[in-house]
This record gives sequence, C-alpha cells and structure tokens, in this order.
Amino acid sequence: MKREAWLLVSVFLILVMGLCLLSGCGPTDTTPEPVAEDEEDEVVVDDDYTIVVGLSQTILTLDPANHRDRVTETVIRNIYDGLVTRKPDGTVVAEIAESWDNPEPTIWEFKIRDGVKFHDGSDLTVEDVKFTFDRVIQEEAMEGETSPRKGLLGPLTEVEIVSEDTVRFILEEPWPILLAMLPHQQIVSKAYLEAVGSDIATKPMGTGPFKFVEGSIDDRIVLERFDDYYGGSPDIPPVGPAPAARVIFEFMPEVSTRIAAIQGGDVHIIHNIPPDMVGTLDADPNVNVKMVDGTRMHMFEMNVTMAPFNDVRVRQAINYAIDIDAIVDSVLLGYATSVAGPLLPHGFAVNPAIQPYGYDPDKAIELLSEAGYGDGFELVIDTEDDLKDVAYAAASMLNGVGIEASVRIWDWGVLRDQLIAGERMMVLGNWGNSTLDPSDLLVPKLRSNDRGNYSLYANPELDELLDAAEIAVERDERAALYYQAQEIIYNDAPWVFGYVRQEIEACRANVVNFEPSTDSRINLHRVALE
Amino acid sequence: MQLTKIIERILIAIPVILGIGIIIFLIMRLTPGDPVDIMMGQAGHVSEREVELLRDQWHLDESIIVQLGHFLKDLFRGDLGMSFTRGRPVLELIRETLPATIELAVFGAFFALLIAIPIGVISAVKQNSLIDKVSMAGAFFGICMPIFWLGIILIIIFSINLNWLPTYGRIDYGAKLHTLTGFYILDSILTGNWAALKSAIRHLIMPSITLGLPMAAIVARVMRSSMLEVLRNDYVVMARAKGLGEYAVIVKHAMRNAMIPTVTVIGLEVGMLLGGNMIVETVFSWPGLGRLVVSSIFVRDYPLVQGVVMVYAFTFVFANLIVDILYTYINPKISI
Repeated sequence: MKREAWLLVSVFLILVMGLCLLSGCGPTDTTPEPVAEDEEDEVVVDDDYTIVVGLSQTILTLDPANHRDRVTETVIRNIYDGLVTRKPDGTVVAEIAESWDNPEPTIWEFKIRDGVKFHDGSDLTVEDVKFTFDRVIQEEAMEGETSPRKGLLGPLTEVEIVSEDTVRFILEEPWPILLAMLPHQQIVSKAYLEAVGSDIATKPMGTGPFKFVEGSIDDRIVLERFDDYYGGSPDIPPVGPAPAARVIFEFMPEVSTRIAAIQGGDVHIIHNIPPDMVGTLDADPNVNVKMVDGTRMHMFEMNVTMAPFNDVRVRQAINYAIDIDAIVDSVLLGYATSVAGPLLPHGFAVNPAIQPYGYDPDKAIELLSEAGYGDGFELVIDTEDDLKDVAYAAASMLNGVGIEASVRIWDWGVLRDQLIAGERMMVLGNWGNSTLDPSDLLVPKLRSNDRGNYSLYANPELDELLDAAEIAVERDERAALYYQAQEIIYNDAPWVFGYVRQEIEACRANVVNFEPSTDSRINLHRVALE
Repeated sequence: MQLTKIIERILIAIPVILGIGIIIFLIMRLTPGDPVDIMMGQAGHVSEREVELLRDQWHLDESIIVQLGHFLKDLFRGDLGMSFTRGRPVLELIRETLPATIELAVFGAFFALLIAIPIGVISAVKQNSLIDKVSMAGAFFGICMPIFWLGIILIIIFSINLNWLPTYGRIDYGAKLHTLTGFYILDSILTGNWAALKSAIRHLIMPSITLGLPMAAIVARVMRSSMLEVLRNDYVVMARAKGLGEYAVIVKHAMRNAMIPTVTVIGLEVGMLLGGNMIVETVFSWPGLGRLVVSSIFVRDYPLVQGVVMVYAFTFVFANLIVDILYTYINPKISI
C-alpha cells in the first residue's frame, strides 16, 4: 500500500520535473537577454546590457497627453523629454528648454535648446512645442477628444511662436506654479502625430533617452538607447546618451512577485515596496533598498458638517489622541515622516511656527469633556485596503480616550461618492503633491467645495488666502499667504495631520546611478550596471 | 441533424450573451464610483470644464437608457466601444490579451486532467487503500488551498530557491518569436523557433499548475465517486465474469461511463478557470484578460469591463456546448 502512495507522489514529481527538463530549465541566469538574430536554439547574452524594471501596475497608454497616471508617466518619461524636468529631490531644472523668462505675470517665454532630435532623426522645433501644448489645452484637439491633462496646465490659454527658438506661453491669470507643473508635459512631434494619429498610444516617438522598440501596455515595453540623444538636462550630470543599451518595463501587480523577481535576479529595479518587506530585501546582499521622502500627504479628514466633528474642540482632541509618531515608528516601521500641519515638510512655504499637536491623551479627554463628549462617541474610520493598518492603530488609540472607533475598508470609487455627499464621519486617505507647492494640495483639499475636500471644510477667510496665493507673483508674498493659511487650518483642525511616506524602491547591487525620486518617477537615463 | 442542432445551440447563445452584456452594462452604471473622478486620481489640479468634457465624451452626462442605446447600437456594428482609461478600442485590447488567457486555461486544464483522471480511477479501483486516502486527502487540500498562496509558494520554491523557473511573464525577452496567432506555444512550433518554445513552456509551468490544481482536485473526486458507482454495476461484473482483463474492464467499460458526470464538471470548471485566471495572472504577471479586467473594474472602465465579461460569458456558453457534444460521443444514447 505504501508503495502505491509513494508511486503516486513520484508520478507527480516526475511530471513536474519532466516538464522542467522538456523545457530545458535548470539553474540559469534568468535575466532576460536578447537572442542574437541567427541563434535560435538558446538564449544568448548580448554584449550590451539590459535594465529590467518591475512596475507595480500595467500602464494605460504611451500617448503623453491621454492619461492621468503616475506609473504610465514613468514609462513615457523615458521615451519623451519635457521642456523642464525634476531632479530626484523635486527641484525643477531645464531639459529641452535652455532657459526661460517670466516678463509679465501672465507671460512665460521658453528658449528651446538647439540640436534636440526626435527618434526618427528629425529636429525638434518650436512648432512641435506649440503643437504639443495646443493638443493638451485645446478642447477636442486629440482627434475630437479632449486631453485629460488639460487641468494640469491651469490657466494656460495659448502658446505662441516668438522666433525659431522661442515660444511664449500666455496665461489667463498669473499662475506661479506653471514651472512646477511643466515636468508633467512631454513634447511630441507634430509631423509624426499628424501621420500616425491615435496610433501614438501604441507607437510612441519622442526625444527622450530611449526609443520604443516593441511591446504592449499589457505585456512588456522594450526600449533601446537613442544614440543621437542630446544628453538631457545639464543640471543632472552626466549628460549624454544613456549607458544602458536596452530597458524593459515589466508589469508585476503583485508585490510578492516583484520581490521574488528582484531576489531571483529576473529584474534590476522594482518600486512601490511596502515597509514590511524592506527587512526581507535588506537581508539580501544582492539587493539595495533605496528611499526618498515621497510627495503624498496622508491625513485623517473629519467631516466638519457632522456632529461631533462640527465642534473644533473635538477635532483638536482627535489630533491629541492619535499618536502619529508611534504609528510612523511601529506601523510604518519608520519609513515615513510625521507632519506638523497641512503641508509636506520638505515642500514650499512650510510655516516654521507650527508645531505638531503631539500625543496628549489627557488633553484629548479634557477637550472631549468640554465639548460634551466626555463619554465618548461611536466613530467609523473609513479607508482603503492599503491604509488599513494605520487606521486600525488610530482606532485603538481613540479607544484609549473613550471613543468607540472601528475601521471600515472600502473600494475608493464607492467611498468617494459618499464622502462628497457628506455621509461619512472620518476618512484616512492621501493626496499627491508632486509639485511640492501648497497650491495643488491645499486648494483641492481645503478650499470650499473643491474636488478633494472630503472634510467639507468651508472657511471664506481661508478661501481668500488660497485664491490670493494662486495668483500672487512674488515668492515671499505667496509664502506669507500660505503661512497664514496654515495657521487657520492648524487651529481649525479639519484633519488629523498625518504623515508622508517614503518612496521605497530597490535595485540589484550591481545597479549604479539609480536614485528614487520624490515624485516616484523612475528615470533610467543615467542608470548603468557594474 | 446533429449539425443543425449545434447551429441552433450557437444561435440560442447569442441572446444569452446579449442579455449578459445588458446586465453587466446596468450593473456597472449602478455601481457607485465615477469614472472621470477616479481617472483624475487623488492629486493635482482638475478644472470643471475638463471633467465636463470627459463626461460628454464618454456619454456619462446622458441617461442610462440613452447610454444603453449607444452601447447596443455599437454592439450590433461589432464595436465594443473605446476604453475610457486606455483610449483604445476594447476589441483591440481583448484581441491582444485573450490568447494569453486561453493558452493558460488550456494548459491549466491539461495539467488538471492529466493528473486528476488517473488519480480518480486508481482511487476508485483501490477504494479505501492508502493510495485512495492519500489521493483524496491531496484532493481535499487542492480544493481548500487558495491559489494565490499556492502561486507564491511555487515562486519561492522553484524561482527563488531552486532558480529553475522564471517568476513572471509569458516568454523571455529575446526569444524573437514571430507571433502568428498570439498563442506562444503554437506560434513557436509553427515557426520552428525552439528557443521560444522552451522559454514559453518554462513560463507556463507554474501558472498552469497553480491554475489547474484546484480543478484537478475537484475532477479527481468526481471521477472517483463516479467510477465507484459504475464499478458496482452488473455489466462490470459481467465483463469480469466473461474473463476480460482488468485493464479492459476499467478503461473500456467502466471509465467511459464514469466520464459523463466528469465531463459535466470539466465543462463548468473551464469557466471557473477563467475566473481563477484573474488571480493567477496577477500573481505571475501574466498579460491576459483577467489582469486587464481586474484593473478596469477598479477604475470603472465601463466599456472594457462590459467587453471582457461578454467574452467570459461566450466562453462559458461555448464550453457547455462542447460538453454537450462530448456527451453524445461518450454515450450515443444522449442527443443534444
């Protein structure tokens, strides 16, 4: 009898091993490398190396004007360059534009660098720059459709050609963050677009360090070095063509697969690593974990139109009751930074006078009693699956001050409608602020009735300050307006001021010149293998 | 006659698929969550005008009835619409990803049947023996095991520790496969590209096992119980009494009759394989339809979800039709 059982197990193992042998597998270097044209019997390693990147989702398109997705932009940005770009720390520097001028609050002029070529060998001209921006800002300019990136250019209404190397941007009203928003736009070729039309979504052609070779947005994208590359931004050395001969983007939605792939040597770079996986990767001598302060603000938003959060004392009490530093240390394992107020600590115009509420449960209880909630109340913290651990930790801290807090996990699409309708009490969420400017954080999140204002906070005084800062030209003047805005927000406490997570990425130990960026973009122009 | 019946069945399938299309259309519209809001994400500046234009572009500003009219009108022209998020025709996206899904499902089913039928038969023939108990315990384990977990465990063992198999994808870059049908195994055989064939098989092994094992477990149990029932019949006793060898009794007489319930289960399981695909495709980064539909549900890409669900519906209906045809082959007394 036992013999038969063993026989069965053996048959199964033989079957698996047989399939392995049939396919010729065995311990091999599994890094995908190209086969020489004339070799078909086995995979042969090319002389030039390939960098393989494991991304956390599939991308949506390869058309720079037809998406609103960070990961999609990461791939596109290696094929296309913009007028300006960002350094890993978020500073905006010149790229295709050599220089710029802001002669009037509503006029910007960009001088285009000489010698920039598209991948088809044609020269980039001011016509291409104008065409690129017209395609985004004009309604129905993309074969009858409107670009979903139009809003990213705010009040830009017109682009004029001034001379052979200069374009003028005309704005409806002053918009000081134009430069900070421009890295999100990439220059396309007018002639190519007119020839291929909507096929640009699958056949991109830009001026970036890599040119598109093959692939599809659901499978993999293969790029090759563009040898005639003008060199990229002089502010981010080294300047010149990319060292890597080839770049492959693979799409791996499951984090365990990404971790396994980098540990197994199948990929060289992965991103979007949760804090609890850092230890596993740190222990692997073949992998280096890299991180940088991110630009996504995490906060608990309290519905100020609903009791008990219509009382500022309760909102302040919640700020005292949740120990953000403890959450950062124990739940996020230190891979985050707590914030004192509503702005990113490394962003523009952070008011130094604002200090964190700090963890003080006694003060929280006192404030709750003053507000008439000495016996606590029932509270549901709404959030998404990937933030649930933080929400549970906060709920347990709130239980400590007598609030019966629980957590409910939602699909974001379902939750958002309820938040806008004012039907929920408190939500733990986040908001991207890649410009590091208060404008695209405070305006959508806290101006009355704005798009992401889930606390439903409405304060005319704050609205006035934010609107004034939107069009203020002088940097100091803007900073002063934002200082005041922060004080109001801090005192009114529509949020529990939370934290900014670090962007955690990893590369194989032989990868050089790879630095994670604050905006989570993976720029491979200068990345090489040892 | 038989052919007429088959054509009749195919024609009946059309309203079924259409009905499913309409139901999924309504379910998607009634699910909370606005595609434009979700597309704009939790970041950055968005102008009201931009939102308005996108709604107009996608007909979201019209009533559900009018939207349904657009959907049906396009459908009758063979157009499943444009994906909201990808800006490309849904049909094109399905055409690109469907072969990967079918290839995986076929190999998953192949793996499942390859182990399930012998196990089911042996367990029944050797009822209550150790081999029976081990097999059925294994089958129970197979049914209970989450395929997500199984996939990760296989990756850890065969990719990280043993470094035998690749962790993700369908084929190594550099295999230079000239795609004819989109089915990599078939294409590599047709073009005689053996490096690509090797690479494609290596990539298929773990996903196929992960996808096929739960099906194998169910089929093995059904095959066993069905065989047990058949083996007690008089004609089996008769076959033995007239001196037929054990092989002939089991394979030629018993097994053929025991296959009828098994084939029914296989037909249903093929549909389930497509469902399971969504998880397996995510774990193994398999560029198929399952992964496509999962991402499109979260962003409320209505046309894409509708299109993919209709493909699933078609596959279910088609698999069941094949099962019915197989019945007539296994037992000529049954007609469609």
